[in-house]
Amino acid sequence: MTSIEREFQIAPIVQESVVHNSRTLFNLQSLTASLFGVGAGILGLESYYGFLFYIICSLLTTLLFYVLRVAPSSLPAGKGAFDTSQYFRSPYEFWTGGLLNGLAGFILTWTLFFGLVRA
Amino acid sequence: MAQVPVQTIHRDPQLFYWILVPITIVMILTGVLRHYATVLMATAPKKLDQKTIREQRSLLHGINVRSNFPVLSKHSFTTRRDVLTTAYESGAYLKDPERRGQAPPNPMSDPSSMEGMMGMMKNQMAMIIPNTLIMSWINAFFSGYVIMKLPFPLTIKFKSMLQAGVATKDMDPRWMSSISWYFLCIFGLQSVFNFLLGNDNAASQMAQQMGQMAPPTGQMFGPGVDPDKQFLAEVENLAVIEHYSVLDGVEQRLLESATV
Repeated sequence: MTSIEREFQIAPIVQESVVHNSRTLFNLQSLTASLFGVGAGILGLESYYGFLFYIICSLLTTLLFYVLRVAPSSLPAGKGAFDTSQYFRSPYEFWTGGLLNGLAGFILTWTLFFGLVRA
Repeated sequence: MAQVPVQTIHRDPQLFYWILVPITIVMILTGVLRHYATVLMATAPKKLDQKTIREQRSLLHGINVRSNFPVLSKHSFTTRRDVLTTAYESGAYLKDPERRGQAPPNPMSDPSSMEGMMGMMKNQMAMIIPNTLIMSWINAFFSGYVIMKLPFPLTIKFKSMLQAGVATKDMDPRWMSSISWYFLCIFGLQSVFNFLLGNDNAASQMAQQMGQMAPPTGQMFGPGVDPDKQFLAEVENLAVIEHYSVLDGVEQRLLESATV
């Protein structure tokens, strides 16, 4: 009967809400990853620059998601800046999880548009 | 290290319209088709008779009381515990009270569990068959030439897999044949399917999801599990719980958090 356990029982974590939040973030990141692939292909970026472009833009998307969606209700509730604990469980996964699950879509559209535009 | 000259091959622009786009369209359409076929072929959840449902739900009730006991007050908890314990021990919830001491029915011969296994096998088949067909179609029609260049370099070992029809020694592994475009599509189109068909569609990678779902549900009502032993284990679990409630001291917490 530790104090952490009691806190979880007083304010329980609802599984459905957690799933909904992470699914929203996942969908957004997959979609934008495919679109960034289009951009990278049209710009004609090659290996390292292409991946760097992807990482930067993906982090930018997550930052915008934080500023526009999470901050308006999380800052007044007393959380610090860049603290996502009101909606998401682990900050590491919030910021970097999108990189891995969007990678396949990014490579697909990148290759497609690279070939189409470069002729 | 001398700079390796960039290999460029001039290709017919019509190549794209006749190869890349048809393969992509075919893969998207078969994905959508597979999703709707799975939805239509799914068997309706079978209707259980009242005794079976009562047996399963009473066990769930016991488990819920055990895991969520802090929300109950002391009196509610002890009442529930006594009722459930007497019912479990006397076997009031069992499906066949006469078969108490015997072994549970064999999963192969018990007809109610066969349909569960058939459902899983049907899903596997729905995944495997279209993929195999498309792969053989691509190998038949689209082999023997390279289509496009990957934007990033790969190691030499990938060449044998991805440049299947073209047997050259010096060509960069960045040049790929159509079968590699097929592989790229399998992985990359999952997000497109997510977008088109909504979440948990049948066209995405089901193998990983099924692998994760199988362990939790397999222990409880699967074939070959004896409900009588489960009930008795639940009796012991309920007996060892030291009860505390979130309602203890709630007035103190409220006074602390109220600001004047």
